[in-house]
Amino acid sequence: MKNSNILSYILAIILAIIFIYPLYILILIAFEPVSLTFDRLYPYQLPFDFTLVNFESSIKDLSLITPVLRSVVVAFIVAILAIVLSTSAGYGLNKISSKFSNKIIVLMFFANMLPAIVIAIPISVYFIKLGLYDNVFGIALAQELVVLPISTFIMLGGFRALPVDIENQTNIDGANLLSSFRYVLVPLIRVPLIITFLLAWMTSWDEFTYAIIISPLAPTFPVSLYDYVSRGDPFISSSFALLVTIPVIVIVVFLQKYLKGEYLTGGMKA
Amino acid sequence: MFKNHTNYKYILFVLPALVYVAALSFFPAASVVFLSFKTPKGAYSLGNYYAIKGGLLKSTFDTVIVSFGALLIQLFFAILIANILIKSLKGNKLFSTIFIIPYGISTVVSAFIFSLIFSAVGGFANSTLHSLGLLHLFGIAGVNWYATQYTSMGIVMFADFWKNTPLIALILLGGLSSIDPAMMEAASVDGAGSFRRFIHIVLPNLAPYIAIALLIRGVSEFNIFALPLVLIGYHPSLINTLVYEYFTSISSVDYSYAAATILLLIIVAFAVLVIKLGGASNYEKQ
Repeated sequence: MKNSNILSYILAIILAIIFIYPLYILILIAFEPVSLTFDRLYPYQLPFDFTLVNFESSIKDLSLITPVLRSVVVAFIVAILAIVLSTSAGYGLNKISSKFSNKIIVLMFFANMLPAIVIAIPISVYFIKLGLYDNVFGIALAQELVVLPISTFIMLGGFRALPVDIENQTNIDGANLLSSFRYVLVPLIRVPLIITFLLAWMTSWDEFTYAIIISPLAPTFPVSLYDYVSRGDPFISSSFALLVTIPVIVIVVFLQKYLKGEYLTGGMKA
Repeated sequence: MFKNHTNYKYILFVLPALVYVAALSFFPAASVVFLSFKTPKGAYSLGNYYAIKGGLLKSTFDTVIVSFGALLIQLFFAILIANILIKSLKGNKLFSTIFIIPYGISTVVSAFIFSLIFSAVGGFANSTLHSLGLLHLFGIAGVNWYATQYTSMGIVMFADFWKNTPLIALILLGGLSSIDPAMMEAASVDGAGSFRRFIHIVLPNLAPYIAIALLIRGVSEFNIFALPLVLIGYHPSLINTLVYEYFTSISSVDYSYAAATILLLIIVAFAVLVIKLGGASNYEKQ
């Protein structure tokens, strides 16, 4: 038993190094003078020096600030839309028979399996006609497709966990649908709401395929990072990439205890 | 009677989400299939498919290699990680936090980092090999990671493994914690070593979870787009990047529909395969 624990430790440490190494490299090149990293044939891997010059020059470069702000706006639209649509859908699905509601969930997840690029190409044609091309609302509407099934599933789970009678009681007390929602249900489903919001926000923040096809000229951050890299100009983007990565890592570490396999698999229970 | 009435009312709540999904995913997907048969001259034929059949075949083949390769690597390491985390070693919390980090780094940022690590000149991977003295041993200045299309595909697989293993590990961890410890104890009382316990108890109990992980990751594996685009561009083109390559040049937009239809076909085939093999009854059981 003792031996197998030691082996586990060794494996865990090796894997931990592999998983942390790329993030370490990102931090290193952000704080290290270029002369020690990009300019060398064999860049130093240990922090020999410390500088904020990279950060200053990347913050001064306004061409990256706009895409980051755009990403933030898109992510908020996606998250808010996810909350509205999935709360409504989760509430409704909870009330209809589970046989029927499971079919609807499966249908939504099937839609989620369709390749993003297959959907993005025709959508971009419609969006040109509708004036949603190169537009934050256009990107958000498309990205919503990715998050909607999982959000609906999470909200359905939240409503299912509530006692059945709670709504009847609020009705007896004279609350209409809206006020029972506002004062009784929403406080009770606070946790699923927060998870839905953060997951949707993160997914949008990360999404690339819809963003590059629907809004190539008004890019979100991932798309403009790709532009920089494909032009062979990674110097400015590296410290920026770190800046935009930190909040998401914080969210993930916060979400860690909620990120159970079940949420991520969308309820396909074994 | 009354029950039916209430049911209809509640479907109204679901309707916005349903209409949304239908309008923005099923309808566009169907229109892609339809448009793929329309040649630039406006006739309906298999012309688009014939025009690109060589490139299409090759990138389909390469996509299948990358997808299955990456899936196998991810599955192996995810089982390993889940088995380590389930032991609740000291420092478990720190390990699980570290293992989840790649999930929080966006795909393009991770592709960007890997492009810095694996650049042929001035890359950190070469730098590591240099400090280990391996480059000196072989008498070369550095490894060109993109020398052949297979090494390029290997880089994509590695980056993909790094980014997506946490997700599978989480799913499998859920599966592992559902195994009754009494079963393991009974087996070890009966004299089964840890290897036999793994083969005869852990693996069979984990199988449905593995099927789910395969379905979820496999479908997105065939969809990898940002990683190969940033890391290897069009050398070689995977099917997604091929679609994008056709789509971005005006003369070949029609071809992109044909390539997209093939991609759709592969994904549906894969999903059906996995569901038939492993997860057939998963939906009904819940």
